[in-house]
Amino acid sequence: MKRREFLGGAAASGAVLTMPAFLSGCGIQQARAVADKTPENPFMDWFGVDQATAARVMSELSANGADAADLYFQHSRTNYLTLEDGIVSSANSTIQQGVGLRVVIGEQTGYAFTEDLTLPAMLAAAKTAAAIAAGSPIVAPQAFNALEVGDLYKTTVPWSDVGIDQKLPLMKFVESQARSMEEAVEKVAVYWADQDERVMIATLDGRLVTDHRPMTRVTVTVTARRGEEVQSGFANIAARQEFGWYTEERLRTMVREAVDRTMVLFDARRPPAGEMPVILASGASGILLHEAIGHGMEADFNRKGTSIYTDMIGKKVAEPFVTVVDQATIPRERGALNYDDEGNEAGRTVLVEDGILKSYLHDTISAQQYGLQPTGSGRRESYKYAPMPRMSCTFMEAGPHTRDEIIAAVDRGIICETYTNGQVQIGAGDFTFYVKNGWLVENGKVTAPIKDVNIIGNGPESLRRITMVADDARLDTGGWTCGKNGQSVPVSQGIPTVLVSKMTVGGENAG
Amino acid sequence: MPVDLKTRAAQAVDIAQQAGAEDAWSSVSQSRDVQFEYRDGKLEKVKDTTSQSLGIRIYADGRYSSHSTTDLNPDRLPDFIADAVAITAALEPDEYRRITPEALFRDRPADELDLVDTSVQALEREQRIAWCRALDERAHQHEQVISATSGIYDGTRRSAAASSNGFLDEQQSTYCWFGASVTLRDQGDKRAEDGFYAGGAHVEDLPNPEDVGAKALARTVSRLGSEKGPTVKAPMVVDARAAASLVSRLLGPANARSVQQDRSFWAPLIGEQVFSKRLTIVDDPLIARGLASRRYDGEGISARALPLVEAGIVRNIYVDTYYGRKGDMAPTTGSPSNRVVKPGDHSLADLLSQVDEGVYVTSWLGGNADGTTGDFSLGLRGHMIENGNIGRPVGEMNVTGNLRDLFSRLELIGDDPYPYSSTLTPSLVFSDVDFSGA
Repeated sequence: MKRREFLGGAAASGAVLTMPAFLSGCGIQQARAVADKTPENPFMDWFGVDQATAARVMSELSANGADAADLYFQHSRTNYLTLEDGIVSSANSTIQQGVGLRVVIGEQTGYAFTEDLTLPAMLAAAKTAAAIAAGSPIVAPQAFNALEVGDLYKTTVPWSDVGIDQKLPLMKFVESQARSMEEAVEKVAVYWADQDERVMIATLDGRLVTDHRPMTRVTVTVTARRGEEVQSGFANIAARQEFGWYTEERLRTMVREAVDRTMVLFDARRPPAGEMPVILASGASGILLHEAIGHGMEADFNRKGTSIYTDMIGKKVAEPFVTVVDQATIPRERGALNYDDEGNEAGRTVLVEDGILKSYLHDTISAQQYGLQPTGSGRRESYKYAPMPRMSCTFMEAGPHTRDEIIAAVDRGIICETYTNGQVQIGAGDFTFYVKNGWLVENGKVTAPIKDVNIIGNGPESLRRITMVADDARLDTGGWTCGKNGQSVPVSQGIPTVLVSKMTVGGENAG
Repeated sequence: MPVDLKTRAAQAVDIAQQAGAEDAWSSVSQSRDVQFEYRDGKLEKVKDTTSQSLGIRIYADGRYSSHSTTDLNPDRLPDFIADAVAITAALEPDEYRRITPEALFRDRPADELDLVDTSVQALEREQRIAWCRALDERAHQHEQVISATSGIYDGTRRSAAASSNGFLDEQQSTYCWFGASVTLRDQGDKRAEDGFYAGGAHVEDLPNPEDVGAKALARTVSRLGSEKGPTVKAPMVVDARAAASLVSRLLGPANARSVQQDRSFWAPLIGEQVFSKRLTIVDDPLIARGLASRRYDGEGISARALPLVEAGIVRNIYVDTYYGRKGDMAPTTGSPSNRVVKPGDHSLADLLSQVDEGVYVTSWLGGNADGTTGDFSLGLRGHMIENGNIGRPVGEMNVTGNLRDLFSRLELIGDDPYPYSSTLTPSLVFSDVDFSGA
């Protein structure tokens, strides 16, 4: 089977664009001869690797002993398009293909990768990774047992079948919408990204996991002018979706947000500096959970004792109406995963249940140390990196209050709506997020717009200070990317409207 | 490694032209990277990798696209490039998308910049582990240490580029970094954490690992007992390491793309005296052994020193060939190299004593800036300045303002440029800064 066939038969029209010929290459000749005799798995064929080859490499990888070991085959193709000044005159495509080889002994990791998927190159990399260990060889599996393929983001039309000729009109539509919505709009830029990623993971305990992971994101940036003053803003939407997801209505909603966020900046000011009550609007404010608790609950920090949450499991950390979950199994979410990057089934982990700290996010190494099952949280940016515990889609469940009640309860504070980024210090627990758009709240009413303020708080303190949680829980549709130790992975987040009784807000006219 | 990268790049250009491209620019890169991590007396992670990729920019029929792949299999590469040319035809024509003119790369400097140290390439496992041990031992010399992770990161990068209009060259550099991150038990469940890393192109330029481990520990110890500082308008002293990141934020939108797209507060500033007269910044790619030194940039443009700001006057911004043509600006270079802030003649102690009372910033936590307006707000950690000395540690504070405005109130500059960043910045002192805290 050729790669072209594996992708399905939808490539008939505009094939030269939609189905680039390089994808029809036959993998590695040496390995293929064997693969042809034993057609086992479309992913094995894709990578030109058969059971015997994988077993041979695994046996080299575990030659000095191993508690765990895995081969992580990955092929991704990402396409980018840029619309600026009314035309789409720049396209970029990036192919990443390689295999990462990992050996784990206790808390020790040996890692190597190669982009050359021939047997000699893989054996050499396996030998390098195995050098971390100094024990005796263990019996590696002779064959790997393919686990059931997940269905969280089943692909009917892969991105490789969608031509530029199809994407270009949608980008033009986004631009024309932005211009028609507001006269003051001076420049519009539209950035398109889509990705087909295929991973195949073979583990020392004989599992073979395959996953086809689609991803797409569209961003619109708007610049507007009023006299001498220029302001810009943006919005984006992202998901593990196919082309058909981009309806005109969905795109129009995104553009509306970008235009509104930009125009309000002309009237927006900085709030007064200092501590005050902070209302977090539903959706994107899930950034609070990501920074204030999510990272601190990643078990690698806790097994090393370096997280502020290290000794808090089972303790009350918030009011009883606070429940925080990390869940990879929400279909088509940007953070969704059928299996994690160690080949463990991804799932739903309750971090805080009714105010009590329940569970860390575990990878294989930490789960073994704690004597627990992994939570399916081992993720990596690509074959170039060893996995570590990461979040997927992190959210807070709905609470007993309403948004109106929460606003009415604040005398003098702010409500935050959109964000650009956040950061946390795992040990001290201090975290920040940057508010792009928000509003002042005075005497229980939303009054003037605010912009560009950093908010800083302490994780456990801020959790304790969540005094109200509304019933309007919602996931954000934005394209968030989480960075940790130099590795970026897609994540998503959500939250209902909540009130944090006190945080430190960046602002002007201090003292 | 026996592979001739230049030949590979030139072959890719030939294939692109045979496939119908009028012009093409190809670059091939290869790297070897080794990473040793050691935690609490034990080797924890060894990563040893060799990586390669090929990129190609296609100019065909007034159209443009760029492509890259890590799959360099010679059986598949011709199809990859032919597809790249075919894809380009689906785009819209753009008169400004043209290959780098020969005049911009013809006179590039020939002299090597001493960026390769063969002793990095010859490093042995035993040496790396000895360094790890030295770092680890020194970083643990405090009774409140919970954990310390030490690391050695070294490697070699090679890249070659070829173009259809006669560019053919290659660059190579080595790097070797080490350092440690330390976590100390602090009040309640809190932990103090910080670290220190040093590096360069040559092993002989590195400080000794004991000193680096000691510095990582000392920086962390100074965080013990940190509390939220006050909400106050006060002078701000930014230490050299933190200043590098602040200067990077200032320069973030100083480029032709942001200006042409109307997303840069630098647009109206060119030629104007807008910053403090004390501020001079040069982009200098030709520093021997510099962390970001090069003879030509990613577009092939010849490296030369580029004054960005001279005594507060904006002289140049980063201009690549595309946005330069489109925005009617002469190309300088599209990407930063070593950015050097001209040092002053004050020691840090001198700066602190002149300020007397204020906030001394040692690192940032999150925050951002709007490139269009220059409005910024950043989280910070540091110390109160009390009677001209470093006082109690503070954190959980923000500093908020506008970058253009902030750098117009740059009052004093230190004599202590931070050597372990490609933005070489000394300590900086600003007046009337808005801090928010308790």
